[in-house]
Amino acid sequence: MTTRAALPAPPTFAAGAVRVFSLSLGEMLWSRRTIFLVLVTGAPVFLALVARIVQGSGVVPLRVNGVPVDGASIFGMMIWVFFLRFIVPVLGVFYGTALMADEVEDRTITYLFTRPIRRGAVLVGKYLAYVVCTTLVVLPSVVLVYFVLVPFSQVARSFVSFAIDLGLLALGLAAYGAVFALVGAALKRPLVSGLLFVFGWEQVALLVPGYFRRLTVAHYVQSLVPHAMPSNGVASLLQSVLSDKPPALVCLLALAAIITGTLWLAARTVESREYVLDQ
Amino acid sequence: MIITAEHLSKWYGQVSGLNDVSVSVPPGITGLLGPNGAGKSTFMKLITGQLRPSKGQVRVLGEPIWGNPALYQRIGFCPEQDAFYDRMTGREWVTALTGLHGFDARTAADQAERAIAAVELTDAADRKIGSYSKGMRQRIKLAQAIAHEPELLILDEPLSGMDPLMRRRTVRQIKEWARGGTSVLVSSHILHEVEAMTSNIVLVNNGRIVAEGDVHQIRDLIDEHPHTVSIRTSQPHAVARELLADEGVVSVRFEPGGLVVETARPDAFYARVTDLAASGQFGPIREITSPDDNLQAVFRYLVKA
Repeated sequence: MTTRAALPAPPTFAAGAVRVFSLSLGEMLWSRRTIFLVLVTGAPVFLALVARIVQGSGVVPLRVNGVPVDGASIFGMMIWVFFLRFIVPVLGVFYGTALMADEVEDRTITYLFTRPIRRGAVLVGKYLAYVVCTTLVVLPSVVLVYFVLVPFSQVARSFVSFAIDLGLLALGLAAYGAVFALVGAALKRPLVSGLLFVFGWEQVALLVPGYFRRLTVAHYVQSLVPHAMPSNGVASLLQSVLSDKPPALVCLLALAAIITGTLWLAARTVESREYVLDQ
Repeated sequence: MIITAEHLSKWYGQVSGLNDVSVSVPPGITGLLGPNGAGKSTFMKLITGQLRPSKGQVRVLGEPIWGNPALYQRIGFCPEQDAFYDRMTGREWVTALTGLHGFDARTAADQAERAIAAVELTDAADRKIGSYSKGMRQRIKLAQAIAHEPELLILDEPLSGMDPLMRRRTVRQIKEWARGGTSVLVSSHILHEVEAMTSNIVLVNNGRIVAEGDVHQIRDLIDEHPHTVSIRTSQPHAVARELLADEGVVSVRFEPGGLVVETARPDAFYARVTDLAASGQFGPIREITSPDDNLQAVFRYLVKA
């Protein structure tokens, strides 16, 4: 180190986030959590294959009031039941709350926090890696389910709503991930709090008439779904009766506000928080 | 001064990690010496901006470090913890971390390459870090700390887990970096490790600075206390026979995978063990460690004084 190279200017917030993103994406994609992600997103594909095989053998896999349900409708139901109500929020909780916690637990956070990059940029970079990683696994699963269930002759008719499905699932992953990045940055038991939010607060708030539902992510994501909500239980029935669907633009703006607002707060929290590592 | 701390304190809830410490670290190599739990790690975390002082202030290279990420452009840090992204190769890891300093991809790769060569890991650079030995892991941590050519290197127990030969080479390398103009603060709980690099030391115990300055002033105190050294080797009995010929050796006892030696002449003893390792006469000497008790005795004396 006798002749020091000219040091570049420290990366800007955005450039720092992009560099952390490239460092984290591979780690995230090949982590143990991704195995869980593949298993979770593989379940609907497996069920779609079963439904298709049953259909192929001449048996109608699903009837509502005695009327056979076609592949496109089964696909719509699966988007609701599996992806929107379960997979997207659960992945948001498991990945979002772990964005910083994993680095702290593995004691690798030191390598990121002793670089000329703002801590907030580290969080944003890791969040971007989460969005890309989960999208890369969830969306192919949806595509597979779609092409397994929907006959080729119906593809042209249902393709627009299919594209909307893909977009809103990616948006849902981004929104839930941002909310739980904040939960992970601010709370000591983020996983429990996250699960309570998804399976407690959101479920209750969506059933209560009035403004409470506006304090959920599900309200805005589910209002964008092009398929009819399945009435597969008292809760779903109540939800569909009480539903006040805001216009798509309002939903998109609300989700954008949720993503930027919670990410900003999460970045602020990480900037000021001390992380004491176990030796 | 490269580091100044004024009335620096850090509490973890009710527990005090560092208590009203005022110290100035000059350019060159400085050793931070103290047993585990003495407050070394807390001090290291405060001067690397990982922790915020509860009281007092700390300045590194003339600037406050907490919440000042731009300053890391001038600092290289090798942490104590044995933690990595194990799925990455050594080269990928050092290159990615160097890239966080704002270098373009090609420059980051070149800088990483040079740093890996400096720690003699070029041959293993394309292996996954998960497959590295403890000593190799220590060296790749050093590489990520030096790759951006910092003005100040902060090394937390950098020699732990290295075999005697690699220790000797690493000590030589650290001194070479210092000769090139890099200031180095190195923490250790082994006086002889630090003494091999510098005579300027800061002694920490119970969260306070017990003494600072030239190591030779406390050198005699150290020598008054028998020094315990643990050696991991496949041929403990042969090594013991060889070492017992040394007049400084007070006692030898065997334990699984090695032996523990008590010596009254630590300097000569460490040199002898390193020579034995280099000769390969008794198979590989995998690790030498020194428990904290060596320093504790000296600290007890200093605190009483």
